Amino acid sequence: MIELYAITDHPTPPLPQVAPLRLVATGDLAAICAPAGDDGVSADALWRHEAVVEALMEQRDLLPVRYGTRFDDEDAAARAVEARRDDLAMALDRVRGAVELSLRVIEPGAPQAGDGASYLRDRRRQEDARRALHEPLAAVARAAMTRPSPDRSELLRAAYLVDRDAVEQVTGLIAQLQAANPTLRLLCTGPWPAYSFAEA
Amino acid sequence: MTRTAAVGGREVALIDLVDRLLAGGVVIEGHITLAVADVDLVYVGLRALVTSVSTAEEKGMLPRMGSAL
Repeated sequence: MIELYAITDHPTPPLPQVAPLRLVATGDLAAICAPAGDDGVSADALWRHEAVVEALMEQRDLLPVRYGTRFDDEDAAARAVEARRDDLAMALDRVRGAVELSLRVIEPGAPQAGDGASYLRDRRRQEDARRALHEPLAAVARAAMTRPSPDRSELLRAAYLVDRDAVEQVTGLIAQLQAANPTLRLLCTGPWPAYSFAEA
Repeated sequence: MTRTAAVGGREVALIDLVDRLLAGGVVIEGHITLAVADVDLVYVGLRALVTSVSTAEEKGMLPRMGSAL
């Protein structure tokens, strides 16, 4: 059993020595895979997987593959890549030269409940704050997306697709937004492989 | 992220990691070894972490934005 890490262009620079990686080429695309371990879904297993994809990302453009994608052998992996060739080539072009930044915005002590009027007032205030943070970032990013927040203390959970050479500009803007909103906590991580922009 | 040395930053980033590896990435038909139930379990485990991050944030225990980069 082999596990897929990423889809990239073929040919591609030499693979890093972070794992027993193999290149499965089909035409001008290649899948990067390694023998599958018996990892489940522990935090350590996720971090190990991520470390491999990040090492790959340093040298090439890539589409990260959903965690846990496995095949019986390299032929089966090549057939599966071939079956989605056009989608994959288009998606790889979409993220070419870019990385992903993650932003979560937490409002410590945000009211979790209230009567009807104050609830609506809070919702409107939170929505305004959310937009004031998200819109300027989306404007400088190549693409942006948001995920639902688990509770009302999290104002925003977003991802921004950013050109590699614009990362500092965007993190600088996030630092400015943090300074302008001292009661909020802006938690930014990255650069990540473009996980949130891999599917159209 | 591998560049995230601070323990607090790593915990913050774990939520972002789960969002990406388990819900993002390109989907290629193969043996997807994770049942949806497994993913739910991870999120249940993280919900406690989300709460503790918020709490730690209020107490000023976690680094401000930027140090997690």
